[in-house]
Amino acid sequence: MKDNRSYLYPPLASRLFSVWFRHTRVYTKNIFSNGLPPFLEPLLFLAGVGLGLAKYITQSMEGLTYIEFLGTGLLMTSAMFTASFECTFGTFIRMEFEKVYDGMLAAPLTANNLIIGEIIWAGTKGFFFSFAVLCVLTCFGIISLPRGLLAPFIGFFTGLMFSVMALLVTSFVRTINHFNFYFTGFISPMFFFSGVVFPISNLPAYIRPFAEIIPLTHSVRLTRAVCAGQYHWYLLLDMLYIIVFISVVGFFAVKRLKKRLVF
Amino acid sequence: MTQFAITVKNISKSFGKVNAVRDLSFEVEANACYGFLGPNGAGKTTMMKMLYGKCTRGENGGGSINVLGYDPANNELAIKYLSGVVPQDNNLDEELDVISNLMVYSRFYALPRKAATSRIDYLLGFMELSDKRAARIRELSGGMQRRLVIARALMNNPKLLILDEPTTGLDPQVRHLIWDKLRQLKRHGTTILLTTHYMEEAFALCDTILIMDKGAGILRGSPAELLTKNVEKYVLEITGSQTLEAIADDATLQKVRIDRTQETTRVYCDDDQLLSNLAGRLEGARYFLRQSNLEDVFLKATGRALNERQ
Repeated sequence: MKDNRSYLYPPLASRLFSVWFRHTRVYTKNIFSNGLPPFLEPLLFLAGVGLGLAKYITQSMEGLTYIEFLGTGLLMTSAMFTASFECTFGTFIRMEFEKVYDGMLAAPLTANNLIIGEIIWAGTKGFFFSFAVLCVLTCFGIISLPRGLLAPFIGFFTGLMFSVMALLVTSFVRTINHFNFYFTGFISPMFFFSGVVFPISNLPAYIRPFAEIIPLTHSVRLTRAVCAGQYHWYLLLDMLYIIVFISVVGFFAVKRLKKRLVF
Repeated sequence: MTQFAITVKNISKSFGKVNAVRDLSFEVEANACYGFLGPNGAGKTTMMKMLYGKCTRGENGGGSINVLGYDPANNELAIKYLSGVVPQDNNLDEELDVISNLMVYSRFYALPRKAATSRIDYLLGFMELSDKRAARIRELSGGMQRRLVIARALMNNPKLLILDEPTTGLDPQVRHLIWDKLRQLKRHGTTILLTTHYMEEAFALCDTILIMDKGAGILRGSPAELLTKNVEKYVLEITGSQTLEAIADDATLQKVRIDRTQETTRVYCDDDQLLSNLAGRLEGARYFLRQSNLEDVFLKATGRALNERQ
């Protein structure tokens, strides 16, 4: 009963692309309401800080003015937030409420394909959100361009890191309200303790190791170095951290979430 | 030799302490329509999901599944590529319009854009949705959404179409339209596997019916076979409080099978004359003498009381 046609099911790259394509189509369907806020948010942030707070902060931070320091940090927090929301609330709604995955898993996709497609999509959103911040920062002359163009690529990897972590959390969550704990207990502290708003060298010595453990610190350090054009050998460690984090957490996230989809 | 599209042998599956499917075996002939009939919680959906790898089979290791020549445990992609699935819920992308829903789905099969466009045109025409191509999902009625899900399942011209309660909650017009389309597909060589609660649906479409209860297959056969082998030809349904014993003598009671619920008494017998005489003796009670149908077989086989899973 075998025939050749059956071996023509799409190859891996095509299957991953099709998942990514689905998410892109749904996201770009409401391009105005989905595409505008990523530009507005950094604008608001910089306006608030630039017009008010920055006047009081005259000390330079790691050789940057405060607005430059904060701006380079925001490149990464925007990627962090979008990937985290996408793969917590977004994934949970697609899985449990809209049952979108049930429809997709009837097509020639494995659960692994679907989850990895999800991760790549979250990375893409990280890229786009970083890019939006970059546009705003460039308009205000906070970042000089050729160097800043690398930031969205780091945003992509930041998106991957936070999506694998979010998916791992999602694999445990039974009701959607539990995500509040994740955001209050993990994502919000990340904003303050990973060198976005102030240098981690200013943290008390006993907290600093903690800052080195959390993922955002490494993306922010890389981004700042890239934007300032100051490269050190220890940036390799940050890159290594990011790659190991994505692989290890991603492995467990895929493994656990698969059990929620195929049981 | 008969070709089988699906062969399932001794499959069991449990979720925690619940045995969803117990030692089930069945074979579906190619180009036939096979129906699972059973109460809620009988294991119909679980068994279907195991066929295309949405559920893993039981971990006790026994049994085997073969779908279109492949084992879902090793080659789910081939099975999914050759099959179309209509799940119980209409899980369409609400944000997208009709045509985008189908375009997105065509990517999963890596259909080239041009081929996808013409296939989608054909499918919308086939399911009589052509004038809804630009409509949003929310603007579609339940019947239209269901037809769209079926169109979506037909995207890759499947050899096997799996439908989980295809017409539940739809009005008679849509049901008959869907039945007609399914018959057409079968005539053109598609194997169809469906679950349903509706006896008429099983009767109208299926070549073979498997009645399931509590995860096990309890009766199987063609609709006609199930009727003749398992239930008397006629039923007298009596509504009201009149007791049967008051109008029937012992000799008559010996010849009939009686099934009572609180308000209705059903008297089954192969002899319609006997039942009609009995009906003539009823005073004032409402009654209905009819041929027995699959529902009677079903209730006899699965019992009338609700179980804890319904």
